[in-house]
Amino acid sequence: MQEMLANPAVQGGLAPFVAALTVAALFAPFRLGGLAVVAAFATAVYFIAGFTFEPLTATRKIIILGLAAPLAGIVIDFAFRPTRLEAWVLALAGAAAAAWIFWPLLAQKGLERALLPGGIAVLATAWTVGFSHSRLAEDGVRAGAAGVALGVGAGGAAILGASLTYGLYGMAVAAGAGAFLLVQMIIGKKTHAGATFMLAAALVTALLASAAMILAQVPWYAVIALALVPLAASLPVSAGAPVWLQALLLSLFGLFMAGIACALAWHAGS
Amino acid sequence: MSSKFAAVLIAAALPLTAAAAPESFTVDPYHSFPYFEVLHLGTSSIRGHFEKISGKLVLDTAAKSGTIELAVPTSTLTTGDNDKGSRARSRDEHLRSPDFFNVAEFPTMTYKGTATKFNGDAPATLEGQLTLLGVTKPVTLTVERWKCGPDPRTQGKRYFCGGNATGAFNRSDFGMKFIVGPVSDEVKLWISVEAFRD
Repeated sequence: MQEMLANPAVQGGLAPFVAALTVAALFAPFRLGGLAVVAAFATAVYFIAGFTFEPLTATRKIIILGLAAPLAGIVIDFAFRPTRLEAWVLALAGAAAAAWIFWPLLAQKGLERALLPGGIAVLATAWTVGFSHSRLAEDGVRAGAAGVALGVGAGGAAILGASLTYGLYGMAVAAGAGAFLLVQMIIGKKTHAGATFMLAAALVTALLASAAMILAQVPWYAVIALALVPLAASLPVSAGAPVWLQALLLSLFGLFMAGIACALAWHAGS
Repeated sequence: MSSKFAAVLIAAALPLTAAAAPESFTVDPYHSFPYFEVLHLGTSSIRGHFEKISGKLVLDTAAKSGTIELAVPTSTLTTGDNDKGSRARSRDEHLRSPDFFNVAEFPTMTYKGTATKFNGDAPATLEGQLTLLGVTKPVTLTVERWKCGPDPRTQGKRYFCGGNATGAFNRSDFGMKFIVGPVSDEVKLWISVEAFRD
């Protein structure tokens, strides 16, 4: 048993998926099925690094934000009336989160060397969070498909960029989003995603990709390719098509961009 | 007569007093390296080292005391696998990533130790603090083959000391928890040091 739980495929895939599927199935009736992502992410953190926050490294800051994001999402979804400003505010919050995490590292490099990775990290996070919230969060299938592709893209690129830890966290987000999507495909009905789901999925994956760029060897242009995943998941599909077909098509659109991000990460080391 | 005798004694003792004063040394970066060893998949040993090190030693053989401070730039690690070949990344690149040494975030590893046991004039045991990944934990090192004397390469113009210090620690104690099991938790440490008297 202990050996099985030490297997990276279990830690970053199977265990997070089981946790997420349970949460998605149990909480979907309360419009909280989106908590599947944080259930998956927290499960991976438990197995891979544990809930230790000293010293407060970049990775641990991402974990803190990943755990806090769905709580903020619940507040946004249930305490406020939707406004046009919401996406902008979340984008700014995403940018601030990226700056909080990466500025202490980039400040050591000097402005010239810090500008490109720092700028990419801040802008990619702001874009991914803001666009996903404004265009995908209201549609459970689009949000779920984007979550799967963002997780696979961030995870795959991180693994190819020499960080299996970030890779497993990315794959855990993909597993959580996959479980959320699977419930919708089984019941044949879209469920509520909202900021509870989308903020956590978009923020964590954008930050993981940025961290893999700054702390490992993912190239900056792979992070940009990954940021285009939400755009791919917003491409039109027939609204009358069955949920499973919509989920499949939108996932494929997103995974295509995620594949490009991974290919760029692979070729960067050549 | 007796006061003259005392004066002679004091005069004779002065050079001894001077020789017994603590002496400081600077680590020779060209002949000092920290090595590490882990077990891979419970079978073979993977060894690596850091290509650079700097530091200071203070030694007082008469008082049987000594201290050492070492700083290691973690980005200089190598295990002899720096070419990725057909793989996504090489082992050395992986070891520099946040999975292991996280060199971008923690560029320096330090060891600060105090000699607590001597074997004659040679320090035998160092008790100190290893700081790795921002975590500081005690690590005890055993000193072997310690030797001091004139440096033969300079016809004795420089005075040097050198030896090997060995020990072990669990990497998970420092937060390096990635795939503990397939890659052993225990890390064996071996620091070869030569240092010139300042």
